[in-house]
Amino acid sequence: MSSKETIFEKSKWNVNLLGDHAIVFSLTANMQEEIIEKIIELKNWIELAKNDFIIESIPSYHTLTLVYDIQQFYKNKIAIENNHSIIAFANSLLTQFELTKKNNQLQFETEKKQENNSPIIIRIPVCYDLSLGIDLENLSTKNNISINEIIKKHCEEIYLVYCLGFLPGFAYMGKVNTKIQIARHASPRKEVMAGSVGIAGEQTGIYPMNSPGGWQIIGRTPLKIFDPNPSVLGKLQAGDRIQFYPIDFAAFEKLNEYK
Amino acid sequence: MAIKVIKSGIADTIQDKGRYGYQHLGIQPNGFLDYQSAQLANFILHNTITEPVFEIHFPASTFCFTSNYTICISGANFVPLLNEKSIALHTPITVKENDVLQFLKPLQGRVAYIAIQGKIKNETWLDSHSYFAKRIQKNDIFEWGANNEKEFSNPTHTDLPNNSITNEIINGIINEIQSQVFSTDPIRFIPGPAWEDLTPSAKESLVSSKFQISLQSNRMGYPIKGPLLPLHKPNQYLSAAVTRGTLQLLPNGELMVLMADHQTIGGYANLGQIILVDLPRFAQLSNQASIHFMETNIDTAHKLYQQIEKKFIHRS
Repeated sequence: MSSKETIFEKSKWNVNLLGDHAIVFSLTANMQEEIIEKIIELKNWIELAKNDFIIESIPSYHTLTLVYDIQQFYKNKIAIENNHSIIAFANSLLTQFELTKKNNQLQFETEKKQENNSPIIIRIPVCYDLSLGIDLENLSTKNNISINEIIKKHCEEIYLVYCLGFLPGFAYMGKVNTKIQIARHASPRKEVMAGSVGIAGEQTGIYPMNSPGGWQIIGRTPLKIFDPNPSVLGKLQAGDRIQFYPIDFAAFEKLNEYK
Repeated sequence: MAIKVIKSGIADTIQDKGRYGYQHLGIQPNGFLDYQSAQLANFILHNTITEPVFEIHFPASTFCFTSNYTICISGANFVPLLNEKSIALHTPITVKENDVLQFLKPLQGRVAYIAIQGKIKNETWLDSHSYFAKRIQKNDIFEWGANNEKEFSNPTHTDLPNNSITNEIINGIINEIQSQVFSTDPIRFIPGPAWEDLTPSAKESLVSSKFQISLQSNRMGYPIKGPLLPLHKPNQYLSAAVTRGTLQLLPNGELMVLMADHQTIGGYANLGQIILVDLPRFAQLSNQASIHFMETNIDTAHKLYQQIEKKFIHRS
């Protein structure tokens, strides 16, 4: 039995209320690839059913939160089927989800394999020039590692998006190589520029817009990671895989979408 | 046909019911702080109850009308003045070209709403006029198109058969909403994921002590002053989705209630959620008011919410 399967067996779903208009499905509270993958799997499966009273489904690390419209829930026949209990509804969703998975085990496994063979990786250019990566020298000194080595380590890893939050389009990604992990600044900067790429502990992220922020900034991407245009919006979602690649200052200037 | 801001307030915005469906991208819902008062103002004007309104904090903006409108003010009483003469709340008021609307002083409540009869013409972002970063500023112009007679007798919103609502019914609803929004009853919450991490005495303290809203409150959240609430052990939480009304316990022991402009996820101890029906009342509390919290359950919360929403539907 692989270690991955062990984790799946151990991780049991919990269902809880989050106030009077949201419910939470949760697994073991760990920042782990297998866990967020299972969260996304449940999210995608729930969205297929298109229940009109579910108005949000928000994945984050080990939880999937569904926000629902109270009035719409009671109007729906699902409410009657579940004795007007949102928790009963959530539990029946889980039962169906597990059943579907069991029945389609083979299909699931094949799909997974295909995915694994050609995972989609979003590649994001980053300019690690000292004028943009304003905490590079700090990180280099504190962690006793050369700047070239920092860049290499940051670009080596394929990161998984665990959640979005803080700002529209701000993706929390991990995990960062232990050699370049560094705690966020004790007090946040008043303004971090849009596109700035930072590290906070084992996570890395990109500031989608100018904002106050405490992450250690090691570079900047010329790409807009969030665009308020309704047909574009956020380019990253929980469950996405991304990899950074280094570009020089001239390439940064050429590609800069923030001009 | 426009309304012009001639003096900026400190935190005034345009709000409607907000936008849902984008929190997985980190986009906040925003929307009315006190949906009951905002809906009431629209209801009195025969608008769709979720029509955008001006949400006013004190010190408030001053407005000038460049054409005739019918408006209605609800929520907090900031003593509204039209051309320096006091006007009533919860009453349709006809305003004419060059009339000036201002607010004198905060008498009761924290958030006032100005509804305008008709439909707003300004652009939406993702189906909502609410936008967290956009305070209304001096010289901003907002346009409303008036409802014409035809629209009136043929309402598109089926919940509101406008012409059959009597004044008696409207006055009844005004009284019920007012007594709900400004009652001093305890604020009810449903325990959340970190509730069991509180020590037994901290749980007891939360439901038996007096709390007060701190000065630094805004549309993102209201910090709450009160006794320290210790956790069993210093706990680390993985960030998860939060909602409006989430009671967060910060590492320094301070309580924070998240409001309409909250971030989509939070990593602090999530003690519980204030129920939707009590959120407007909480939003309207002054800094001087004593707050009591009371635990409730989902069935009560849903029943109360539906009762309030039904008030906005005509009872024949």
